[in-house]
Amino acid sequence: MAEVRLVDIEKRYGNFLAVPQQSLTIEDGEFLVLLGPSGCGKTTTMRMIAGLEEITSGDIQIAGERINDKPPKDRDIAMVFQNYGLYPHMTVRQNIEYPLKLRGVDKAARTKRVQEMADKVELGALLDRRPSELSGGQRQRVALARAIVRTPKIFLMDEPLSNLDAKLRVTMRAELKHLHHELGVTTVYVTHDQMEAMTLASRVAVMREGRIVQLDTPKKIYAEPANLFVAGFIGSPSMNLVDGAVRNGMFRAEGIEVPVSLADREGVVIGIRPEELEIAGDASASINGKLYALELTGDSTLVTLRSGQTMLCARGPADFEAPIDAPCHLTPKPGARIHLFDRASGQRLDGTRH
Amino acid sequence: MNKHFTRWGERALLVLISVVVLFPIAWMFLTAFKQPRDAYSLSLNFVPTLQNFVTVFSDPWNLGSMVMNSVTVATVTVLIAVPCASLAAYSFSRFCVRGRKFLFFLILSTQFIPAVVIVLPFFLMFRSLELLDTRTALIIVNLAIVTPFVIWMIKGFIDAIPTDSEEAAMIDGASRFRVIKDIVLPMAAPGILTSSIFCFILTWNEFLFALILSRRDAVTLPVGLVSFRTERGDLWELMSAAGVMITVPIFVMALLIQKHFTRGMTAGAVK
Ligand SMILES: Nc1ncnc2c1ncn2[C@@H]1O[C@H](COP(=O)(O)OP(=O)(O)OP(=O)(O)O)[C@@H](O)[C@H]1O
Ligand SMILES: [Mg+2]
Repeated sequence: MAEVRLVDIEKRYGNFLAVPQQSLTIEDGEFLVLLGPSGCGKTTTMRMIAGLEEITSGDIQIAGERINDKPPKDRDIAMVFQNYGLYPHMTVRQNIEYPLKLRGVDKAARTKRVQEMADKVELGALLDRRPSELSGGQRQRVALARAIVRTPKIFLMDEPLSNLDAKLRVTMRAELKHLHHELGVTTVYVTHDQMEAMTLASRVAVMREGRIVQLDTPKKIYAEPANLFVAGFIGSPSMNLVDGAVRNGMFRAEGIEVPVSLADREGVVIGIRPEELEIAGDASASINGKLYALELTGDSTLVTLRSGQTMLCARGPADFEAPIDAPCHLTPKPGARIHLFDRASGQRLDGTRH
Repeated sequence: MNKHFTRWGERALLVLISVVVLFPIAWMFLTAFKQPRDAYSLSLNFVPTLQNFVTVFSDPWNLGSMVMNSVTVATVTVLIAVPCASLAAYSFSRFCVRGRKFLFFLILSTQFIPAVVIVLPFFLMFRSLELLDTRTALIIVNLAIVTPFVIWMIKGFIDAIPTDSEEAAMIDGASRFRVIKDIVLPMAAPGILTSSIFCFILTWNEFLFALILSRRDAVTLPVGLVSFRTERGDLWELMSAAGVMITVPIFVMALLIQKHFTRGMTAGAVK
């Protein structure tokens, strides 16, 4: 039982408010992903849980116990640091072995465990090198192996896969998913990678300027972003957001007319994901403009359309072809989710089906 | 053309400075192997002898006991000063205590007091403690002189080590002392070694306090040199031999420092 509870925590660096007062409960065995732009306080939040950063006010509880004043070593946490924090004077083997050594695990067991971990992160052949003799991605894997070499109460992982190539990242992601399934250890995980967030998380916390703006399951975050910030941040390519107004059950902006079920209102932002738009045949479509760019991504083509001042992106079939500047029409797919937000507050107005 | 000229000018200047600096040292080394009658000639044409070294180690000069005093005082000073200073430097570097900057300044400020000002109070103090002319007194005095300096120096080395690895070790379950032992010391080792050698050299060369606080039993090498100025005149060849005894260990250490100094500067964590 290792539920992590942050109660009214706040963090200031001098006058700078890094994390404003808020609460967050991470359930026992949960895989919580922190998502947010650079500098929004993800690392700071983790470091407070780890005990590396003093909290300015509030309480941190692990498994019901207030641990504000407990040093990091007594919190039973394993962490992958964003900047690795390897021991430069030790070999890879000694690096991975260190947490076990500190806990008095005997030599034979240690050697076996280190070998297992090294194989898991595909570093088996490099055990006798020093960190300075490794590439960035290899160093990151040492940091990862060092964290998962023992079973702590809580895993904290600060972008643990950020430096790996695409293939290795997928393998490692699966490893981590399996590990979490196997051990059920409460995990807090920072990433910028949408896929990682979606595939790994039990819940995602989207942060902005230190504040958690939405905390929900990946599905819910994707399907029902609570505000414009989350809508724009989650998804790749990001959601099309267009300013306009609703009149007589129709959202209108230059070149755009989409039926919505919302009372008449000015200052509305409509949001439609690129994967929920399709290319239409003629000008009776909802969105009309000129073709601005075509980008082949492999399994599909990203079609960018320019309508007045706004750009909209749609995910079309891989074999779609048309000359740039040709007239182009898009329409929401049947059953597509149309998101509506209030321009002024940025809050979600309503989610309606087309 | 002009550039060429400055290049040569620079070289000439360097050579000139080297000659001026090295001349007394070269002279000392040569004189140490001369017989008394050759001591005053600058000629390189002499028959070298080791007699001077034999003489200085025998009665009445007994350089041997001075060597012992110097070695003991310098070694013990280093052995006490460096561990204490390392811990102090670590604290100054890593812990945010209120008034830390002031405290650090206070410690350093002891270095600004001219030695002549405090040598008399020290003399009186050791007299009432009946420690005059003992190595203990010299060790105490040297500790007072050297420790602030070593703290300052080691703090510089520790400041240069990123805290990442330390934090990682604490998360991995290491106590503060374990962190210092397993992470900080190995990484700061070149710097600490350099500081130790500096500390040794400072103590080894200390003259003023040793002169005032010792008379016969605790005389160190630099003070011992003075005794070669006798009523029969200055015995240059003996003084040079003793001078060589003082200088050679320092030369060796300077060489060691040089090698480790660059290591000390380039050591550091990897990202
Ligand atoms: N020691 C510090 N002193 C002052 N400000 C700090 C300190 N550490 C972090 N900050 C500030 O706190 C804010 C949050 O930083 P944090 O490292 O948590 O961001 P992050 O979300 O992890 O970003 P990234 O994705 O780039 O790693 C930033 O604006 C940063 O400038
Ligand atoms: Mg960060």
